[in-house]
Amino acid sequence: MNKKQKYVIMAATFFALTFGIMPSVNAMHIMEGYLPGSFCIAWGVLCIPFLAAGFLSIKKTLNEHRNLITLLAVSGAFIFVISSLKIPSVTGSCSHMTGTGLGAILFGPAAVSVLGLIVLLFQALLLAHGGLTTIGANTFSMAIAGPFVSYGIYKLLGKTKVNKKVNIFLAAALGDLFTYCVTAGQMALAHNADTTFGAAFGKFLVVFAPTQIPLAVIEGIITVLIIMGLETYAKPELKLIGYFKEEK
Amino acid sequence: MIAIDKLCYNSKLRYENAGEKFAFSVITLCICVMSRSVEVASIVLATTGILTVWKGGVPVLRYLKFLTIPLAFLLLSTVAVMFNIKKTPMDFFAIPVGDWYITASHYSFFYALQLILTALAAVSCLYFLAFSTPMPDILEVLRKLHCPGLLIELMLLIYRFIFVLMETASAISVSQKCRLGNKDYRTSVKSFGLLGSVLMIRAVKRANCLYDAMEARCYDGTIHVLTENRKPKKKIIAAIIIFDTALLIFAVWRRFFL
Repeated sequence: MNKKQKYVIMAATFFALTFGIMPSVNAMHIMEGYLPGSFCIAWGVLCIPFLAAGFLSIKKTLNEHRNLITLLAVSGAFIFVISSLKIPSVTGSCSHMTGTGLGAILFGPAAVSVLGLIVLLFQALLLAHGGLTTIGANTFSMAIAGPFVSYGIYKLLGKTKVNKKVNIFLAAALGDLFTYCVTAGQMALAHNADTTFGAAFGKFLVVFAPTQIPLAVIEGIITVLIIMGLETYAKPELKLIGYFKEEK
Repeated sequence: MIAIDKLCYNSKLRYENAGEKFAFSVITLCICVMSRSVEVASIVLATTGILTVWKGGVPVLRYLKFLTIPLAFLLLSTVAVMFNIKKTPMDFFAIPVGDWYITASHYSFFYALQLILTALAAVSCLYFLAFSTPMPDILEVLRKLHCPGLLIELMLLIYRFIFVLMETASAISVSQKCRLGNKDYRTSVKSFGLLGSVLMIRAVKRANCLYDAMEARCYDGTIHVLTENRKPKKKIIAAIIIFDTALLIFAVWRRFFL
């Protein structure tokens, strides 16, 4: 065995040990019962203004165009299905998309906040990802914080002369990374047993980094592919979806 | 397709009143999460586990397998809660790595253990609901709790569309596999992107068709669904009240008087 072979085997072992023990790598859903009651309520309350704004904007759009309700529903189902499909991952463990960046770019942040809440409820009850008590925290990180960042980046870079593919990639990947940072922050706020908040935050970031950073990159690439595909084949459909994006 | 959905339609508890099941699991869940004590968590884990397997008729191995779904999250976050990297060793144990120590204190060790148990008990509560109550019944309970009508309607439609889209997606991915769409990493990423965009196009088409169909059947803004009304049984309500009150008293007693 020469040096190179040894190196390859060591790298393979490292990957096997790091990723082999994980049955499935979900997008960062905080599991049921992991947050203390007071935090569950606090995050839930924090979500309410965003959800109310989203709900009212949806209601207004639907009052003007009744026929969009099925489109909205199908969009929600699309986010659910996309996030429940296994995506090709480098390491062979099975991982899922979050769909937050994609949703935000396609439907706009207002609609995604409400759709996200529904999707998270379904994910908890049908797939056992996330949970009922942690739904507030999960909604905040995955349906509000992530999409807002994605959408902000997408709009901001859209004004400058950045390549559109790069723009979508950055929006989706950074939105995903932001979701992961917010989730780590939420966990650190709740569980800093014998260290400071900062140290706990660092620990959670480090522990989830090996799964979340590759995921963000893959998610960025796939989002670019999906949106490019849609722009090539489905201009009229995209126009229909665009109704939800107009902030009124 | 979705294993939990299938199991809950086959559950022996399916035809019990949905409100009872919902109330039991949500109240127990709240007590369990609020109390954060090992004893309460063990009681809840045992009770809901036995109810789901014995009364609900969910195969034991299946149930245990479902309990391992959140395991990845649990393992990783417990590592983060339990261990510290510090220059000074702490009281429970310490593994020296160069100048630093991977170390844990008694407090954080037991805190992490308690966290794992609470989380597992909470998940078992969630499973009791998910394994016994089909989604339309849960939506009916939410409607009775005065959840906004638009939300309920959206949820109903989304629930319906999830299965339609899942079927489409699995058909597309089968045909991609037949055509060597996953032959290496590059192609599989590309295939997934194509799958996503085609799925969206199909979905929009389905949505328009569905709206036309609903319009043709006098859709005026609300979808009317017949509900199967099952009367709540007094015996079960009494049992739920007794169990949850006892659990609450026990949790309060553990928390403040011990």
